[in-house]
Amino acid sequence: MNYMLNISLRFFLFWVMQVLIFNQLEFGFGIHMMIYPLFIMLLPFDIGDFTLMFLGFALGLTIDAFSDTFGLHASSLLMMAGFRIILFKAFSQREAYDPLKEPSLFDMGPRWFVTVYGSLLLIHHFWFFLIEIFRINELMWILQNTFMSIIFSFSVSLLILTLISRKSRAK
Amino acid sequence: MFLFFAFLQIVALSLYITFLSFPRFQFLTSANAISGQIYSWEHDLTKHFNLSDENLKLQEENIALRAQLPKSLFKLNNATIKINDSVYRQQYEYIPGEVINSTVTKRNNYFTINIGESHGVKRLMGVFSPNGVVGVIHSTSDHYSIVKSVLTKDINIDVTIEPIGLFGLLKWDGRHPARGNITGISNDLKIPRGSKVLTRGGSGIFPKGLLVGTVEGAYAIEGEALWDIVITYSEEYRSIQRIYVIKNLMHNEQEEIEKKIPEDKNPR
Repeated sequence: MNYMLNISLRFFLFWVMQVLIFNQLEFGFGIHMMIYPLFIMLLPFDIGDFTLMFLGFALGLTIDAFSDTFGLHASSLLMMAGFRIILFKAFSQREAYDPLKEPSLFDMGPRWFVTVYGSLLLIHHFWFFLIEIFRINELMWILQNTFMSIIFSFSVSLLILTLISRKSRAK
Repeated sequence: MFLFFAFLQIVALSLYITFLSFPRFQFLTSANAISGQIYSWEHDLTKHFNLSDENLKLQEENIALRAQLPKSLFKLNNATIKINDSVYRQQYEYIPGEVINSTVTKRNNYFTINIGESHGVKRLMGVFSPNGVVGVIHSTSDHYSIVKSVLTKDINIDVTIEPIGLFGLLKWDGRHPARGNITGISNDLKIPRGSKVLTRGGSGIFPKGLLVGTVEGAYAIEGEALWDIVITYSEEYRSIQRIYVIKNLMHNEQEEIEKKIPEDKNPR
């Protein structure tokens, strides 16, 4: 019960932050801050694959409904959810993941978090701009968008993580 | 599991692709009742930030309009008296509204406005602001509408470059919200910098002569006899608030007569 409540609360929190704050900030130079991938990243280790992908699709679609992108966020977040399953398997340590831990910086260590979350963000952002721009001759612009946005998305994600994580609050 | 992934992915992508051409699912746009309401609340909070600038803009527009009133014209010839006659007929009506949500840095930028079907807004009506053209209505709900702004890939508004009077199509390359492009103008004519770009009014969406921007430069395209013309928009889309929707009272008439053009049997 508590578990479900926690996830729904985060779902709502990330949605509000993305739609009402980060979608309104526009810097130019191809910077689009997208912090909602952190929601998918922070879902517990023992969550089912179907639930994971469905939550990705649902959060993406609700954000789409508010930013006139009609399925673009849903598609890229689903992409990220799919790759989370693969990457979590690839980067697992010798024993299985401890279901009591959460996949955050404080539980899993900076090295693991930066590699996994960094690559997931890369997949998410690259797919997003690839579908949005959809022209091969503008590949440089797609890459510039991707890398500029990742720098900002990642830094802001770290800040948010510090604010909402259980571990950092206990300190 | 992979099938589930592929299924959702196809749903998302087909939604995205169909939406770019025609809005089928009203509830997925920011014109739906819930998001429209939330954006109105947000706009109520933030609209006052630009209040003095907005007031100044409205005041300037008022001054320009006031100068055209008969009262402020000096009568040179006492024999002509302006009477209410049947020579003129109203063709365009304007519905005022406010932009409640907008983006400018995406590849296709849509603005949400706080007027909808109940105010008489319909799909494919034109939208402009005191400073220039804004876009075309893309979809509507009861109280909100979405404007496909000039900051989208395939906006294709027909414009003319004054004073030469050349016709071209307005496009946007997706980079800078202050600059647009005009295509379809052959490079045998010189285009002076600073020439005004106005709407042509051919499709009946915009009246003739609405300001779009000024020419910034014309660049040669390799292998083509056309200019790539870069213009600076006259409106600052990053801070746009007040807009008007254009209702063309003679739209049906124009559409009916244009239906009579025989279709080209052998297109190139």
